[in-house]
Amino acid sequence: MVQVNTSKLFLRFRFKKQGSLQYISHLDLVRTMHKVIVRAKLPLWYTEGFNPKPKMIFAAPLSIGTESECEFMDIRMNEYIDPAEAMARINANMTSEMQIYEAYYPESKFTDLKWMSYRITVSSLGDPDQLAQRCNSLFASDTIEVPKKNSEQTVNIRPLIKSACATRAGKNIVIDTILSADPSAFLNPEYVIKALRDKCGMLTSPDLTAEHYEILRLNAYFGDMTEFR
Amino acid sequence: MHNKNISSVLKSVSKPGRYIGGEFNSVIKNKEEVGVRFAFCFPDTYEIGMSNLGVRILYDVLNKDKDVWCERVYAPWTDMKEKMEEYSIPLSAVESGDSLDKFDLVAFSLQYEMCYTTTLAMLKLAGFPIWAKDRAEDCPIIIGGGPCVYNSEPVAEFFDLINIGEGEEVLLEICHLYKQMKEDGSYTRSAFLRAASHIEGVYIPSLYEVAYNEDGTLKEYKPLFDDVPAKIKKRIVADMDKAPYPEKLVMPYIETVHDRIVLEIYRGCIRGCRFCQAGMVYRPIREKSVETLCKQAKCLYDNTGYDEISLISLSISDYSSLPELTDSLLEWTDASHVSLSLPSLRIDSFSEELMKKVSSVRTGGITFAPEAGTQRLRDVINKNVCEEDLMRSVGIAFRGGKSNVKLYFMNGLPTETDEDIIGISDLAKKVVGQYFALPKPERPKGLGVTVSVSCFVPKPFTPFQWEKQDTFDELIRKQELLKSAITDRRIKYAYHDAKVSFIEAVLARGDRRLAPAIAYLADKGQMFDAWDEYFNYDLWIEAFEKCGIDPAFYTSRGFGLDEVLPWDIIDIGVTKSFLRRERDKAYEGKTTPSCAEHCSGCGANKLGGNNRWCK
Repeated sequence: MVQVNTSKLFLRFRFKKQGSLQYISHLDLVRTMHKVIVRAKLPLWYTEGFNPKPKMIFAAPLSIGTESECEFMDIRMNEYIDPAEAMARINANMTSEMQIYEAYYPESKFTDLKWMSYRITVSSLGDPDQLAQRCNSLFASDTIEVPKKNSEQTVNIRPLIKSACATRAGKNIVIDTILSADPSAFLNPEYVIKALRDKCGMLTSPDLTAEHYEILRLNAYFGDMTEFR
Repeated sequence: MHNKNISSVLKSVSKPGRYIGGEFNSVIKNKEEVGVRFAFCFPDTYEIGMSNLGVRILYDVLNKDKDVWCERVYAPWTDMKEKMEEYSIPLSAVESGDSLDKFDLVAFSLQYEMCYTTTLAMLKLAGFPIWAKDRAEDCPIIIGGGPCVYNSEPVAEFFDLINIGEGEEVLLEICHLYKQMKEDGSYTRSAFLRAASHIEGVYIPSLYEVAYNEDGTLKEYKPLFDDVPAKIKKRIVADMDKAPYPEKLVMPYIETVHDRIVLEIYRGCIRGCRFCQAGMVYRPIREKSVETLCKQAKCLYDNTGYDEISLISLSISDYSSLPELTDSLLEWTDASHVSLSLPSLRIDSFSEELMKKVSSVRTGGITFAPEAGTQRLRDVINKNVCEEDLMRSVGIAFRGGKSNVKLYFMNGLPTETDEDIIGISDLAKKVVGQYFALPKPERPKGLGVTVSVSCFVPKPFTPFQWEKQDTFDELIRKQELLKSAITDRRIKYAYHDAKVSFIEAVLARGDRRLAPAIAYLADKGQMFDAWDEYFNYDLWIEAFEKCGIDPAFYTSRGFGLDEVLPWDIIDIGVTKSFLRRERDKAYEGKTTPSCAEHCSGCGANKLGGNNRWCK
């Protein structure tokens, strides 16, 4: 039996969000999970007040268009429940594109999560070997300036990239990268896509079906690069 | 479940979650094992279509049949529509992702007239000819249904088959006939439609010839064959306790308009407001028992996890066992953090007790519908509520902590005078007065009174079906008059666009000669007329001109009492002579009691249906 040394009993779930569910926003995920955990009949703790709600905390919100094998949510329980039991009940109430594969009473906080790894797969017009090389020389530079969202200003994203490596995989280019997930300096992988567009001339075709990319979040790490849990 | 080719397209449009399907509780079947593939199309966005109770019920009914797989189809938003046209992506169902040509039956739910252009836009995106007569032998059968089809004439020629009335039974009968004819080899498009015309509640527009008089009025509807019914009788479900009701709901990932459990309490209405189409076409009244409702509510809660249950029907406080129902529900809902909401409260039956039950969790606004500003006009429309009722109700609402009161009215009602318009403003002032009559500590903070006024549309199958609609200029004049009469800054005045009400009246009251104008708009790429940002009045007027249609013929002309009406081909149970009697009483300023007090002999009892009032 796990000894949980806290008065607030949070249960942590690590889950995947894949396939067409990449098009569901973080806000909609939260609303969806709310109903999932009610259906699962877990011993939920509810907030006090006029409009009681269960307490759910999510780590590192995922943006639309990104798949993930590594999402975390903490849910506050009213009483102890076996993690495996809770996981089974939740999974029975979700579709195959979103499933939990690990549940435990955590010792860490989400603020301890510092890095996340991603795999970006790009299908682009042009020679894949040359494009991969172009990506790698971009990653080798000291600064990568990309425009900020809805702004004229640019930001240097290079310090937020721990590592990045592009390789050819058939007709595609695969980029494995580790980006900052520190809440104060979170780097959205879409910024890397922006850099590929601006600096490497990839994904610029006006024909939306000619080129495409997929982003998959793979794992999460503490500051010392041990696996977050 | 879309393939990867359109992933870039989905990343480039707003709210891509509308198009992905894959929701919990959605039904996936093996398409090789079903006899009939049924596409249920809603001619509006996913968020609106997913909220529709009728679609939820029929999706469940059809999928409970092992031979049928019913899937859902929604209108793509305009950004997605452009991309679909640019990249030749056909309209598809959200469950399988298959394009609509893979289906046997493709049905559209017509909930409001302003969805007609969207319906045609969807037919075009599916690659189907919009006119029924142009469809090839292998094209799916295109079906129409929903409240608009009580006068489907303006769009009748776009449909192969129209379902008149409640669809729970008749849609299955249509599916079974289709499957049987496919299996025994007797299926051809025309043989199927002819056979379907024998099913009660099925209207096959192509089997009728329409003749007109020289003055442009209708002469007659003539069935082309002897075995085709001269009138189509509306279908109803007789026993609401035995009627199928979903045990599960498809759970949307994105937020929809009514994202909650919707519990249908009864069908029909005992009131008989003379402007109200729903109050006539859904007769006779049929209630569900408290036992059935409690079972359905608990089951839906367990299978959805929603935290709100909305009790709906045309006038919820007329339910004969409302206190028992709410008490039984509250036995478990409070402890499960589930709130109850009642969206349709009548002024004359609103009570403190009722408000406490439904607002234990939430505070905020409350809406009442006096509909007209003076007692004289309220009697004309048979609303059967008085000023004291309203004052008592808003008093209870204010004392109970509701600081925002919304009042619904209509403008342009038959016999309306300027005095009735000013009466709206006076009534609103008295509501403000009711607030200040409370001792200061009892007043909730932030008083707001909203007067919301729509324009009267004389709807088919109402006692006012023969009435003129006010001209556009007259409606504007009345709106301005009320605007100048409301001087109190605590009263907010909101009114409907008279242009929309005018087009709505044309479409609601029109005949088959309107179809080319609707087709003209569809050819111009028009859709989403129900959305302010896409409604294009000038284009409608252009379409009428091009097609030689005088819209005033259907609106400000009014219909003669002896005239053949476009909807005379439909039998809703309620008789034309009852509607005529009600119209005459309106002009005499006489009211008619509700079905609970006295049977007025409307004629709907001949349809059957289990209820305590009809003889």
